[in-house]
Amino acid sequence: MQIRALLRTTTFRLSALYGLIFALGLVALLGLVYLRSAVYLTRRVDGILATEAAALVRSPPSEVEQRIDEALALDGQKNNVFALFTPVGAPLTGNLEALPPTLKPDGAPVEIGPTPSFPAPARLVARRLSSGEVLVVGRDVNQLQEMRGIIASALLWSGSAVILVGLACGVAFSITPLRRLQTLQEACGEIADGDLTRRLPTSEHHDELDMFAATVNYTMGEVERLMGEVQGATETIAHDLRTPLTRARAQLHRLQQAPSVSPAEIARVTAELDTVLERFRALMRLSELEVRERHAGFAPTDLTRLLADVADLYQPLAEANGVNFQVEGAAPAIVEADAKLLFEAVSNLVDNAIKFAGENGRVALRLGRERPQIIVEDDGPGIPEAEKTAVLQRFYRSRRDRMVPGSGLGLSIAAAIVRLHRFELVLSDAQPGLRAVIDCRPASVRY
Amino acid sequence: MAKVLVIEDDAETAAEIAACLTMGGFEAEQCFDGAEGLKAALAEPYDAITLDRMLPGADGLEVVKALREAGCDVPVLMVSALNEVDDRVTGLRAGGDDYLVKPFAPTELIARLEVILRRSRRPNSAELVIRVGNLSLDLVTREARRGGRRIELLPMEFKLLEFMMRNAGQILSRRLIFEAVWEYYFDPGTNLIDVHVGRLRRKIDVAGAAPLFRTERGVGYLLNAD
Repeated sequence: MQIRALLRTTTFRLSALYGLIFALGLVALLGLVYLRSAVYLTRRVDGILATEAAALVRSPPSEVEQRIDEALALDGQKNNVFALFTPVGAPLTGNLEALPPTLKPDGAPVEIGPTPSFPAPARLVARRLSSGEVLVVGRDVNQLQEMRGIIASALLWSGSAVILVGLACGVAFSITPLRRLQTLQEACGEIADGDLTRRLPTSEHHDELDMFAATVNYTMGEVERLMGEVQGATETIAHDLRTPLTRARAQLHRLQQAPSVSPAEIARVTAELDTVLERFRALMRLSELEVRERHAGFAPTDLTRLLADVADLYQPLAEANGVNFQVEGAAPAIVEADAKLLFEAVSNLVDNAIKFAGENGRVALRLGRERPQIIVEDDGPGIPEAEKTAVLQRFYRSRRDRMVPGSGLGLSIAAAIVRLHRFELVLSDAQPGLRAVIDCRPASVRY
Repeated sequence: MAKVLVIEDDAETAAEIAACLTMGGFEAEQCFDGAEGLKAALAEPYDAITLDRMLPGADGLEVVKALREAGCDVPVLMVSALNEVDDRVTGLRAGGDDYLVKPFAPTELIARLEVILRRSRRPNSAELVIRVGNLSLDLVTREARRGGRRIELLPMEFKLLEFMMRNAGQILSRRLIFEAVWEYYFDPGTNLIDVHVGRLRRKIDVAGAAPLFRTERGVGYLLNAD
């Protein structure tokens, strides 16, 4: 596994980022602790120094030197500074050789480094006595400085540890997803190489990779189904076009051999070729409808009006075929649709119904009473249950369609138009016959 | 004899169209690319043009647009192997007069050419009454009469008769009739148009009168011009 690939993973970057943020938080926390303790300790030292200095200042001037010596003698741990200087700064007594230049009598406390007579850093205050002499009181602040050191090293070590652990976790966490990603890539490669049945592996985690794999698998399912349909369609198309073409070819061959040709025979060949053209047109129309989706000119369409128009167009045909064609309008039903396309869909259903109802048959075209549904019923032979879904597929010609003239793709075209509208076309048994229902409610309402 | 310019890049198709135009009584000239076709169309007064949608040199749409922009209003029949409805709309919007999809029957091409030629020759809305033989159609009162007999027509029958009378003497395919009269562009099915024409025919051609309607087997219908 490549290190660079590893470093680029989201998991690794997130872990590293978290480590960095954690380290920063740690620095802030320890810094705050240090700051608060340092201030506290400094204030405490200052308080002690002020109290001691005040006590010495209040004592009689003649006793100051003696008290300093006593205090130094009593300070077994040697962490106090007591010293007395002449008004010009010459040492009189105590454990400080010289008055530090920064230390001003009655001024703010100052810190100095170790001196020969007080070998530790000290914090000092100076007070001028009434005699003019300068009193210096101080205290060892080594502890304070040591604490600073401890906190600084704690920061350094813990910070580095956090960052290192963060990086390590990042790498460790990234390896698994990266491995899974590689298996996904391999699977995709196999799909790209033509194995459409291959699916991406999913784990038990239901994490984002699984979500993605599931989406890809669904898409692949659709692709496989479509490819299957296309293959099926190609075979159907080849069969449907080849049959009349073969017949036409045979007839032409025969005419070529014949001594004389009658117009009726030529008309027969022409009719065969017209069948091919008709089917071809229907196929073109279907594929056009498939890609039309975005172009459809949708507008509010009155279904009652549309049904009346279809009825006007087909009533004469029904009469000529001896079919009883009944049209029932209802209250105006307005749906959002491409009126011309929907007209074509209903026309195809009615055309089919009239064809299959046959002499003395019955065809009814009506609107649903409660819902915007267009219902076309006939009392013909109907469609076997097993074929009902198949006939709605692209390019499918049912067995019964091969018995009657026409492209036989009317139902497929109607189904394609209905699909384009996101309506629903349902075929059911009209007992006897076929009932086709176009449900014109938007999909969101239907389900 | 009407002169037709055939702009079509496929030489064989062009020859086929030209032959079929000659048979239909037209004089045909061929042109094999868009730019050349445009030049020819602007240089000489043709009566009509058949124009392929996909051409080298210039697209069929561009040719018809350029023609119209140059003020040339020769009727143009666009011929295309592209899909129908949407391309028909773009073709007609660009300035084409009709749109025919390949593959087509030669008679269909002739019929459509005749129809657009007639439309372009007809002075606009000057006619109030169309006459064919002793059949008359009053466009204002919407009355049809054959001899002295008044004929009752349904609205669609009126439109159908008007279309057939305007194109009398011309073979009209079922699909052409369906598109022109009903204005739908799908396959009307096997005998839907036959039935409508049949009904109208029974109203017009009653026994005893010389028949005006003629069926061309496998092709379409024709209203006798004389």
